[in-house]
Amino acid sequence: MRVIERRIGDVTILQLIGRLELETGDLILRDTINRLVEDGQVKLVLDMKDVTRLDSAGIGMLVSKYLTVRRAGGSIKFLHPTERTDHLMDITKLTTVFEMFDDEASAVKSFGDASIHGV
Amino acid sequence: MAQPPFGRRILVVDDDRGLRHVLSELLQGAGHTLATAGDGPEALEMLGDGSGFDLVLLDIGLPSMSGLDVLARIRTMESPPLVIVMTADDTSATLLEAVRRQAYRYIRKPFPPSAIIEVVSEAGTPASALSIEVISAKPEWLELVAPCTLEMADRIQSFVLHLEAHLPEAVLEAVASAFRELLTNAIEWGGKFDPNRKVRISCVRTNRLLLYRIADPGEGFDIDKLRHAAITNPDDDPMRHLQVREEQGLRPGGFGLAMTRSLVDDLIYNEARNEVILIKYLDEGE
Repeated sequence: MRVIERRIGDVTILQLIGRLELETGDLILRDTINRLVEDGQVKLVLDMKDVTRLDSAGIGMLVSKYLTVRRAGGSIKFLHPTERTDHLMDITKLTTVFEMFDDEASAVKSFGDASIHGV
Repeated sequence: MAQPPFGRRILVVDDDRGLRHVLSELLQGAGHTLATAGDGPEALEMLGDGSGFDLVLLDIGLPSMSGLDVLARIRTMESPPLVIVMTADDTSATLLEAVRRQAYRYIRKPFPPSAIIEVVSEAGTPASALSIEVISAKPEWLELVAPCTLEMADRIQSFVLHLEAHLPEAVLEAVASAFRELLTNAIEWGGKFDPNRKVRISCVRTNRLLLYRIADPGEGFDIDKLRHAAITNPDDDPMRHLQVREEQGLRPGGFGLAMTRSLVDDLIYNEARNEVILIKYLDEGE
């Protein structure tokens, strides 16, 4: 999996490309988010539209990093979940926890206006 | 999973000059070293003992010598490269023969550029390639025995799901996800990622159902002690099991069983829970 990183204000957008599965993309995602949290970047949007495959280990890593970021005082929002991703989140009842968005502006705005105009 | 070397030495064997050119440009652009051959005899001459190449992208419908025969010859070489079979022939007989002759992966033409890049980048090295033992290669009963590695899970999933490529996308995705979860469970927890241990996979197909049986070499598990799995979570706390996993030093996860139960029609474990059967019922004609 590849991760393309960019910033909008103090919100970091992570575009995930490829497989998010056991020992494939899950470790890359873990390391990327751990680094961002260490740098104080805790307002994260994960763009899921280019995730080609997602398994339970990938979902587990999403949840684990969601908790990591929450403990650091931030949050992760999910952008462009594919139908399949949405279905898996629903099955695992994570749609009751995660915030999902269909457009980037709304995802960024959900962190509050200071996010857009900051930095 | 160990990361394979980035730049591979690849031989493309196809009688379609245009496709050879496109694949060469594409894969060279991705950092690989390419050579091409237009038929089987030319390919075998270029390959020699096989040591000069890591991967062969092999068309099946070649003139003068079938790709399956080329594959069989490659497998007898002193240092056989991995062979990724690519073909427009979507009959299960061709796929099963490719499995029997130890093709590494199978990709159906036409394929998007990203698919071939992904398959090549995921391929292991010839030295690390392990064999799949073919017990039965009938379309209605495929049975394989394979070492417990994640690379093997990718290969087996690729073969098994190509057999069902005609199914509606939603059915195929559900079956693919469920099969993947159970297979990786068997390889990780039952087989401990140990290539010396084996997992046995049976895929039985009728007009009315798909049945997959996966037997792992582990001791099984006690479902009452699965506090680290999402199936034990209360409805209002879908992440509770993650704390248990953290305490037990387990990687993040635990959603596999909950996912699988929702994706297929029946999920049946044996008494020890080291063998599992999943069933997906099909509408007639699927």
